[in-house]
Amino acid sequence: MDLGRILAVSKRVFIDLKNDKRSLALIIIAPLFSMAVFGLAFSGEVENIGVIIVNHDTGMDIPIVGDVDFADQVIDNIDHDTLDIQESDDLVTAIESLEAGDAWAVIYFSENYTANTMASIIPFTNASSEIELYIDMSNVNLAEAIIIEVNSALMATMEENGGSLPVTVERTEVYGQNAEFMDFFVPGIVSFAVYLFTTLLTLMAFIGERVSGTLSRVLATPLRESEIVSGYALTFSIVGTLQSIFMIVVGILAFDVMIEGNILLVFMVVALLAIVCQALGILLSSFAQREAQAAQFLPLIVMPAFLLSGVFWPLEAIPAWLRPASFLVPPSYSITAARSVMIRGWGLDMIWMDMVALVIFAMVLLTLAVISLKKKG
Amino acid sequence: MLAVKTDKLTKNYGDFKALDELELQVIKGEIYGLLGPNGAGKTTAIKVLVGLLKKTSGTAQVLDIEIPNKQIASDIGFMPQETAMYIGLTVHQNMEFFGKLFGMTKEQIAIKEAELLKFVDLEDWKDELVQNLSGGMKHRVSLACTLIHEPDILFLDEPTVGVDPKLRANFWKYFNKLKENGTTVIITTHYMDEARNCDRVGFMRQGKLIAEGIPNEIMKDTGTDNLEDAFLHYATIGEASDGPTPDGGGE
Repeated sequence: MDLGRILAVSKRVFIDLKNDKRSLALIIIAPLFSMAVFGLAFSGEVENIGVIIVNHDTGMDIPIVGDVDFADQVIDNIDHDTLDIQESDDLVTAIESLEAGDAWAVIYFSENYTANTMASIIPFTNASSEIELYIDMSNVNLAEAIIIEVNSALMATMEENGGSLPVTVERTEVYGQNAEFMDFFVPGIVSFAVYLFTTLLTLMAFIGERVSGTLSRVLATPLRESEIVSGYALTFSIVGTLQSIFMIVVGILAFDVMIEGNILLVFMVVALLAIVCQALGILLSSFAQREAQAAQFLPLIVMPAFLLSGVFWPLEAIPAWLRPASFLVPPSYSITAARSVMIRGWGLDMIWMDMVALVIFAMVLLTLAVISLKKKG
Repeated sequence: MLAVKTDKLTKNYGDFKALDELELQVIKGEIYGLLGPNGAGKTTAIKVLVGLLKKTSGTAQVLDIEIPNKQIASDIGFMPQETAMYIGLTVHQNMEFFGKLFGMTKEQIAIKEAELLKFVDLEDWKDELVQNLSGGMKHRVSLACTLIHEPDILFLDEPTVGVDPKLRANFWKYFNKLKENGTTVIITTHYMDEARNCDRVGFMRQGKLIAEGIPNEIMKDTGTDNLEDAFLHYATIGEASDGPTPDGGGE
């Protein structure tokens, strides 16, 4: 292989990208847009969930202490930003509103709620107290937020009144202290964006080279197939790194994402991923006859990475039988490695397995890309 | 001294014979025209000779080297039928890129680029993106890129398509100049009239060379006053010996 020719190809691809304003916009603006959308949509707490409270609790008059009303205390302890509370006197009407979709839950305190709660505190009485929750489970995220909010209000009320659980969980955060959604999301979206745009741009560029005849033309010069692939790999590893630097800087400035480890490791991982992706793009281009067919590859490129790479939800959330398929999706390695570096602060000694996997992917796909270019009619 | 020599060169696509035991001999330093209708096998022959297509059988030598062989790539200039330029690059950036593929230095490229842009009359368009040029201009850039490294042998596939008559005449002047410098030029064309400028022409039909010779002698032998009629003369003889063909004989 001749370094001069590799650099010539690399420079040519750079100039082509620089002169193509739409590609530039695709590389820079699209990932930022998705970061902003996801950042703003998902990083905040769930708020203003409509619930109806029906409080029939009559309270209790306790000597020395005076009037006690546990239901009122629980309601006071509910975060009114999370739950948008309406009050109602009639349970039947409240449930009808729930069924009509006007509220996500009805929280009902019976007449004897305080009395039963007091009785349950006294040992050996076997008495119990309960809050009745009627809930619309059609939106699991909102339903879970309501259940969590009611439980924490209940716990807070118990603690205020001197009650506590016999067992508590002592939590020590090993990694990711105060981590938020964006800390989890940014390392993922960086790899996902580099994967998506590098594969697509190379795919489009190579279909273009095949259709316009430039590929045939350069292959009639001393330029070898391996030098074309190397030139593209060099350019896209640099472009991928620049793209990730840009996104991470915006992530830090706009969303204050945490970077516990050596950020250079993240750039190395992303550059490796870009090399894998450009080889994939070249390989896929050999199956297309014209540029319009590139669109047919979109589901093949996007869906596996979207579902199986762990960019939006952890791999543990994927059914166990499907999880091994994520090993075949290159971004899953860079996402895991980038998250480990940025949130856990891990070094090369801990993420080397992911890097080795990417190197193996790169070697296999680069070889296949060269073979696909060598295939002559 | 032969620049190109093929022996029973055959290229099959399934059952279709694009080249059928082609016997071609091009003498070093001559301008040789491969003539014939679309589908005759001209482009296939050139693509096999420059190493872009694999031959099915037979042998072929270019500059005494058996092909395919990447070694001779730096001595070859290939101008494909399509414009085949990087349209997102300027004229200068295209020429610089092709120059570098042949290992030329920046200085060498600059000197040759100036000379070639003057020849193709695109000096004022040097820094223009190729995508903004007209079809004819793109063709001129394509020719300039083919000539950047001063190849010993030129394969030009329909180089004058889409080029206006005045510039076409200039192209032929330049081909003659290259010939004077010892360059071998192989041109495919279906403009029979301009093929008179070739030293020798070969008529191709159904993957075979059906006749070959100096243009004036061919016309004299066939009793015609143009190469198109001469071609039809040989094609008719071929049809008579082959029997009727499905497409009625070529064109």
